[in-house]
Amino acid sequence: MNFEGRRYVIIVFMLLVGLIYSFRLFYMQVVDDTWKLRAQEIAEKRKEIIPARGVVFDRNGQKIVYNRPYFNLMMVEDKIKDLDTVAFSKLIGWTVEDVRNRFKEIREGEGTFYNKYSQKRTSNYQKVRAYPFIKELTLEEILKIAPHLDNFPGFYEEVTSMRSYPFKGGANILGYLAEVNGEEIEKDGFYRPGSNIGRAGLEKYYEKEFRGFKGVKYVVTSALNNAIESYAGGKYDTTAVQAAPLTLGLDMLIQTYGEELMKNKRGCIVAIEPSSGEILAMVSSPSFDPNLLVGNRNIKLNYPNLLKDPAKPLFPRPLAAEYPPGSIFKLVQSLIGLQEGVITMNSGFPCDKSIVGCHGHPNAGSIQEAVQFSCNPYYYAVVRRIIQQNKKSSLFEDAEIGLNRWNEYMQSFGLGKRLDADVFGERPGLIPNSAYYDKWYGHHRWAFSTIRSISIGQGEVKLTPIQMANIAAIIANKGWFYTPHFVKSIGDNGPLKKFKTKHNTMVEAKYFDPVIEGMRRVVNENGGTARMARLEDIIICGKTGTVQNPHGEDHSVFIAFAPKEKPKIAIAVFVENAGFGGTWAGPIASLVIEKYLKRRVTDMAKEKRILEAVLQGGE
Amino acid sequence: MMRKDDKLFGDIDWPLFITFLIMVCMGLATIYSVAFTQEHPSLFDIEKQYGKQIIWISVSLFLGLIIFLIDSDIFRKYAFPIYLFTLFLLILVLFMPPINGARAWIGVANLGIQPAEFAKISSALLLARYISELNIKQLTTSNVMFAILILLGPMILILLQPDAGTFIVFTSFLFVMYREGLTFDPIILKFINTYPRFKFKQTWVGTHFIPILFVIIFISIVTLLLSNLSLKLWFSEKSINGSMGVILFLAIISVIAILFIQQFGNKREKGRMMLIILLGFSLLGGLSFSVGKAFNSLAPHQRDRIELFLGLKEDPNGKDYNRNRAMSAVGSGGWAGKGYKNASVSSVESNHVPESETDFIFCPFAEEWGFLGVILLITLYVFMLIRIVFIAERQRSAFNRIYAYSVAMILFYHFAINIGMNIGFAPVIGIPLPFFSYGGSSIMSFSVMMFILLKLDSQRKDVLR
Repeated sequence: MNFEGRRYVIIVFMLLVGLIYSFRLFYMQVVDDTWKLRAQEIAEKRKEIIPARGVVFDRNGQKIVYNRPYFNLMMVEDKIKDLDTVAFSKLIGWTVEDVRNRFKEIREGEGTFYNKYSQKRTSNYQKVRAYPFIKELTLEEILKIAPHLDNFPGFYEEVTSMRSYPFKGGANILGYLAEVNGEEIEKDGFYRPGSNIGRAGLEKYYEKEFRGFKGVKYVVTSALNNAIESYAGGKYDTTAVQAAPLTLGLDMLIQTYGEELMKNKRGCIVAIEPSSGEILAMVSSPSFDPNLLVGNRNIKLNYPNLLKDPAKPLFPRPLAAEYPPGSIFKLVQSLIGLQEGVITMNSGFPCDKSIVGCHGHPNAGSIQEAVQFSCNPYYYAVVRRIIQQNKKSSLFEDAEIGLNRWNEYMQSFGLGKRLDADVFGERPGLIPNSAYYDKWYGHHRWAFSTIRSISIGQGEVKLTPIQMANIAAIIANKGWFYTPHFVKSIGDNGPLKKFKTKHNTMVEAKYFDPVIEGMRRVVNENGGTARMARLEDIIICGKTGTVQNPHGEDHSVFIAFAPKEKPKIAIAVFVENAGFGGTWAGPIASLVIEKYLKRRVTDMAKEKRILEAVLQGGE
Repeated sequence: MMRKDDKLFGDIDWPLFITFLIMVCMGLATIYSVAFTQEHPSLFDIEKQYGKQIIWISVSLFLGLIIFLIDSDIFRKYAFPIYLFTLFLLILVLFMPPINGARAWIGVANLGIQPAEFAKISSALLLARYISELNIKQLTTSNVMFAILILLGPMILILLQPDAGTFIVFTSFLFVMYREGLTFDPIILKFINTYPRFKFKQTWVGTHFIPILFVIIFISIVTLLLSNLSLKLWFSEKSINGSMGVILFLAIISVIAILFIQQFGNKREKGRMMLIILLGFSLLGGLSFSVGKAFNSLAPHQRDRIELFLGLKEDPNGKDYNRNRAMSAVGSGGWAGKGYKNASVSSVESNHVPESETDFIFCPFAEEWGFLGVILLITLYVFMLIRIVFIAERQRSAFNRIYAYSVAMILFYHFAINIGMNIGFAPVIGIPLPFFSYGGSSIMSFSVMMFILLKLDSQRKDVLR
C-alpha cells in the first residue's frame, strides 16, 4: 500500500486552517466592529471631569453660596497590603469594628448580579477598583490622616468640592444637594453614580444652570484602571466649564434679620420688590442652618432629625402653607367691588354686628374707612353685591355667575393657583368657584348667604404667604405684577423669560388709590389697626389680619408696602398663633421694611420686644 | 557517514532557514513592543523580556551551530537515550515546586526550562527511529502498542504537571503515523479475529483512524454541549444527563439499524454489519460516557474553560476574561493596525490581556499590524509548514521523513491552537506560538527542533536508504 498520497491530506489541512483563520481574522478585524467597541470599552476610558457648581450672589453682590474643597479617603482593596487594622482605625478615629463593617458595607453596597449560568449571585464589587472609604472629610480632618497614609498602601485621598453657606440662612430657599438616585441617572446622561444633584430649593430648580458643562478626557487605561497615557494626545479632550454665577434678588441682610425676628415663632415673612417681582426675603420659621445638609454624611446625620421635628423646619411655609388670609383679603374684595361697579369709593355700609361680629369702630362711610376700620359687615355687603348682581332671576344661578366672575378676578391676582415662582413645592391655595361649592352643596343649592365667610377671608379661602406678599406688590404697582422669583440674573442674562412677563389684574389702576389710602390710614392714622407698625419717616401702607384658628390662638397676619410713593418693598408677615395682626405681624413687617430701606433699625424697643417674644402657642 | 565535502551550510534549505529567522525577528520585535517601558528603552536590557529573549535566541543559535557541527546520524542512533533522559526530566519536574499551579519548570527562580517542550523533540526522534525500522506492510500488535507507548509515556507525565496544552500537542503524532501508514489495524484485527468466524486482513476503522478521530471529537463535543442539560424522559421519573442522552440516542439508532439489517441484509453481510454496529455503539457509547464522567470530574476552572469554549457561557468579565480580552485586542487591530508599540489593549503595561508576551503574543501583533500583518504571519507559517512537508517528502530515509513530519505537525498544532484561541476557534490552553512567544524553553526547543530538521535535510544525500 502506498501512503505518499496522504501528504496531500496534510497539506490540505494546513492550507484549510490558514484560509479559515484568514477569513475569520478578516471578519474580526475589518468587517465586524464588535471587538473594536469592546476594546474601547476595555482600554479607553472616557473620564468625565465635573466642574464645580455655580456660585450664588445676593442682590448686593455678596457671595452666599460657594464651593469648599472636601476630601474623600479612597480605598483600593487589591493594593492593600497587611493592613494594620488597629493602627488604621486609630488614625481615622474609628473602632476596629467600624473599619471592618465599612469594608463589608462597601462590598455589599455595590450590589450583586445574577449569573444565570453558574446560577449564583456574584458581587459587582471589584478589588481593583477605587471606592471611597470615608467620604467628605474636611480639610482639618484630612490633614490629620493624609501624612500617615504612606503606612497604609491602598488608601489615598481625593479632593472633591461641596457647598458652603456662609450666612447660615435661607435654607428653605437654597435647598441642598444629595447623591443622585438610579432613576435620575437613567433620565439624564449627565449624572454618574455618586454625583450630586440639587434635591430641593434653588439647587433643584436651577440644577441645569448650576451644574455647568462636564469636561471629557480620554485616556488609555490599564487593567487596574490606572490611566497610562492620554488618548490621541488629548485631541478629543474638552475642558470642564463651571456654570455662570446666579445672582438672586434676595437681600441677605433682611433675610437673616427676618430669620432673627422670627426666632421662637412659627410663621413666615415674604418680601418682594414690587417693580420687578424679585423676592427680597423669604423667611420660614422655624428654619435650620443649610450647612446641616451639606454632604451625604451630614444629610444622613441631620435629615432624619429635621424630618422628625414637630415644628417642621423642612416645610417651606411661605410657599406651601395654605392659610385663610383673614382681613387682608378685604383689600382684594374692595378692588373687585370697585371694578365691578357694585360700589364706589364713597359707598358706605353700617357696621351691622347682627350679621357678623366686628370690633368697635365708627360706621365706614367710604372704602378708605372700610379698609382702615377693617369692618366685617361692610365687606359682607360688598361681596354680596359682587356675588349677587341680579343678572338672573334665580338666586342660585345668580350666585353661580357672580362667584365665577369673582373667581376670575382672584385668578388675575395670582390667587387660587400656583404663582409659578422658581422653586418647587409651591401650593395653589384655594379660591372656590361654582364647581367647588356644587360638590359640597349640590348644583344650584347655594347662594351668597351660604358662602359669605369668604368675604372676610375666612371659610374656604386659602392663600399662601407668597400670594399674600404678591397682593401687597400688586397694590403697590396699582394693578400689575411680575411673577415673584428669586433669581435676578443667570450669569449676565437676566432672569428666566417667564419672569419678564408683566401680569395685569382685571382691576384698573384708578381703583387702587382709595384702597391704598385706606392702607395708609391703617398704619398711620389713629383709628387704624396697625399703629404699631408706624415708622417716623417712611409711609407704610398696610393691612392687618387676624385669622380665626379653630385649633388654637388666632394667627397674626400683616401685609404692607412702603414707601407709599414709588414703593420699594411689599411684604407679608404671618405669625402663627400670635393673635391680633397689628400686635405681632405689623411691627415685624415695619422692622424689616426699615431695615431694608435704611439698612438699620431705629426703634430698638420695638425690635427688642419682637426678638424676646416666644410665640409657639397651642396646637 | 560523514559528508564528503565539508561545506557546513552547503545543503541547508535556505527558504526554511530564512523563514525561521524572519519569524524569530518578528517575534523579538513584538516582544520589544509589548513589554517596552520608558525606564528600559534598550532592546538589550536584560531586565526586560526582550533582553532576555535575545539571550535565549543567542543560545538557540549556538545550539543550532553545535547541531550543525555534529553528525546527523547521532540523533537516530541516540534517539532512545535522549528519549529516556527527557522522561527522567519529566519525572524530576514533578518534584519541583509548582509555578502558577503547574510543576513544569526545572531550574532556579525565573531561570528554568520546561522539559515538556523538549519531550516533543525526543518523542519525535524516537518515534521516527522506531517507525522507520518497522516493516509497515506487516505490522504486529506489539509494533503498534510500542509506538503508542512511546507517546503515552511523556503524555501521561505531562498531564501530571498538569499541562493540558502540550498533552494535546502530542496528538499531532497521530497525523504523522497516519502519513506513515501506521494504523491501529493490528490491534483491532486481533480483537476481531479472536471471534472464530472472522478472518480480516485489514479494517476500515484501523486504516482510517484520522476520520474516526474526528467522529470521536464530534461525539465528545456533543456530549459536552449536552453536559449541563438534564433530559426528562417520558417513561421515567428520573432525568438523565447529557452523555446518557447521547448513549440513548446511539442505542436507538443502533436498534433501528439492526432491525433494518435483519430485514434487508443478505446473509453474508449480516454478521459483519451486526458486529460493526455493536462495536460502534459500544465504543462511541463508552466514549460519550467517559467524556461525560471526565468532564464532571474536571477541576472547576478547566470545566469553565470548556464551557466557555463551547459557548455555554457568556461572561465577558469573568472566567472568559482572557479570551474576550484577546479577541478584543485582535479585533481592534483593524485593517492596518494601530502601529508599532501602539497596542493599547494588549501591552504588558496595561495588562488587559494576561500573558500577552508569551501565550497571547498573537494579540499585540494583530493589534499593532492589523489584518495586513496577520495575513503576512499566516502566510509565513503556512509556507513554513508546507515547506517542511516538501522537505519531508524529498528525504531518502524514513527516519528523516518521519522526523520532518513530526516537526511539521507539532508546529501546525501550535499554530492552529495558539492563533485559534486568539480568535475564538480554540479553547484557551497555554501553548506558545513557535518562534514568537517569549520564553527560553519555547524558543530553544523550537529552534533545536528546526536545526535538527535542517541538519538532517542538509545531509539527506548521504543517507543510502
